Amino acid sequence: MQDTGPVAMLDLQTVSSTNKKVAVLGAGIAGLTVAYELERAGYDVTVIEASKRIGGRTLTLRHGDVVDEMGYNRVCNFDDDPEMYFNAGPARLPGHHRRAMHYCKTLQVPLRIKANFSRSAYTHEEQHFGGKPVRIGRYVADARGFLSELLYKAVDKNAFDQPLSEEDKERMLKFATTYGDLHPNGIYKGTIRAGYRSGGFLKPAEHYAIMDFSALLKSRFWEQASVSSENQDWSEPLMDAIGGMDNIVKGFVRNIDSPILTNAQVQSIHNREDGIDIVYNYNGKREKISADWCFNSIPSHFMVAIPNNFAADYAAGLAALRHQNFFKIGLQMKERFWEREGIYGGITRTTQKINQIWYPSHGIHGKKGVVLGAYTFDPRVSTMFERMTPEKRISYAAACGDKIHPGYSSYIEAGVSIPWGRMNHMMGCGSHLSPQDHERYFKRLQNPEGRHYMIGDQISYHSSWQEGAFASAENALLDFDLRVRADSAVSGMG
Amino acid sequence: MRIDLQLRLFAFVLLSYGSSPLADENNLPIPADEFVYCTVCHGVQLMGNSIIEAPRLSEMEIWYVERQMQAYKNGWRGAHEADVNGLEMQPMAAYLSDAQIAEVAEYVNATRSELPPQTIAGDAAKGAALYGSCAACHGAEAEGDQALGAPALRGLDDWYLVTQLENFRDGVRGGNSADTRGVQMAAATVLSDGEAIHDVVKYITNLPTN
Repeated sequence: MQDTGPVAMLDLQTVSSTNKKVAVLGAGIAGLTVAYELERAGYDVTVIEASKRIGGRTLTLRHGDVVDEMGYNRVCNFDDDPEMYFNAGPARLPGHHRRAMHYCKTLQVPLRIKANFSRSAYTHEEQHFGGKPVRIGRYVADARGFLSELLYKAVDKNAFDQPLSEEDKERMLKFATTYGDLHPNGIYKGTIRAGYRSGGFLKPAEHYAIMDFSALLKSRFWEQASVSSENQDWSEPLMDAIGGMDNIVKGFVRNIDSPILTNAQVQSIHNREDGIDIVYNYNGKREKISADWCFNSIPSHFMVAIPNNFAADYAAGLAALRHQNFFKIGLQMKERFWEREGIYGGITRTTQKINQIWYPSHGIHGKKGVVLGAYTFDPRVSTMFERMTPEKRISYAAACGDKIHPGYSSYIEAGVSIPWGRMNHMMGCGSHLSPQDHERYFKRLQNPEGRHYMIGDQISYHSSWQEGAFASAENALLDFDLRVRADSAVSGMG
Repeated sequence: MRIDLQLRLFAFVLLSYGSSPLADENNLPIPADEFVYCTVCHGVQLMGNSIIEAPRLSEMEIWYVERQMQAYKNGWRGAHEADVNGLEMQPMAAYLSDAQIAEVAEYVNATRSELPPQTIAGDAAKGAALYGSCAACHGAEAEGDQALGAPALRGLDDWYLVTQLENFRDGVRGGNSADTRGVQMAAATVLSDGEAIHDVVKYITNLPTN
């Protein structure tokens, strides 16, 4: 199977008259992909979803939507306006996620470019630069300038292990000069790349004074943000679905005729020699599907509490998966104050607990906008937010925002917080295995257990990305198809 | 040779695809919509989920469930910052009315699941001697005594019993004076070292069941 690059279309064998019943557990991206593909191949598919909505962690919140957090079930209070929405789960798509691109194209889910990085957004560090936000462009330009000056000096002093030829020296000096915008003598004195301090249009451009190099070195920006947009998953240009990422889910639902049962909770999974039984609660009754195949995207950390007859090593693999608890806040702002600061899209990074502020790429110059007011990955920080009431989380994030944008909290009209570690039927996200457990179990989990396939982003190298879910579904379907073809070859010979 | 292989295959299939699961039985309770939450963490039939650290609750006494839910609701339990799991549980009880608490206790009591697996190391023989003082309230077979306000300990996860004994010892549970039964238990928790706690829990989880 090709893992990167162009996606080979699934060419599943069309079903024979028997062995056609399929149970799909969970209606997130992976489950919906399997249902979509197998329905097209003629299978009798039933999707069983525990929660009251379809989509899994692909969750876009709008006016009146339920936020189904354990203990704090509540409703999103954004304006009733299609532009006022918040992608509480996956929120961006890079073009190299070829399976995601394939399904968005096939399902006719319109995408658009979304700015993930902006030199006009800020880096904000409580301990450095006087606790004041610094434009990312200014930081990057000065950092490159200083590095280039050092490189220039190193060439001058022949400070390399291997002697450089005179020609290579010349090339290197030219590279350093261009990369850092150095003066001809190899000194960095600031650059217009850091932004215009004044002028530039009717009057001569004036650039900013350079920042203190030791302050730059001490700051945390190095670790986090200076290269984030060079990681392929976050590299420009990114995309998102126009109107909300759940339009991908809606695209599947439009194109799937098979029943998708919601509020249906799996009670047991038992492999038989020639099939698999799924017992589930639905409409106050205990129901059973005797299926031929099962594709299961239930979060692995629930599987230890769902009776099954899996082999010990497979069950141990599922139990070894650990999950994280990312946390997000979305804030409806009554004015797009960031645009007055010249910010259009992109992300501000801060050492405060909110970690990030995202500015919307859509609705430019509109009246209002929804800003991401917090996005935390650190489990301890997420737990801190989880323990607050929903109201307290918003006021906490508001106070952090005030340190970056004057009057930030006064613009907040409505807010939602989504602690994935506390969301009903989720209780976590970002599954991962320790390096030892990965070695021991990952391949086992990528392969079926009897008639049972585990799927979802949890069974991929790309957890917390929709592409991981798509890939896991593809992996399971390709294995499944080989088995179906082998079976039909045998019965054909009969 | 061929027959032997088939027999072995048959035996393998019997072994691996055998048992009829308790959870499938039709007489077992299905939670009301508002109590499905309980099963998300505590599992099917509240069988317990050691990964989420949500203990087994199947068959738990109605009066004890009610009391603990009230303890969470009133902030007697799940308020101490070191009570990691209690803090997670607390909001789940906070929004329930007294009537809902009574209902959920009935539901919890009606659930059935197999006894939990043993997950901790300990010396049951040493634990037997230590259990003497516990037996005064919790009963010789850890069956509990409602009149004394002491719940059954049999059927609880071993890892959960260890955590709770540590919590009582450290003042993480039973530290609120309004929680009279909790205070009583905290005072009765004389086991201080971790080894003794593991030994007594090992003894409890190895007691015969009826």
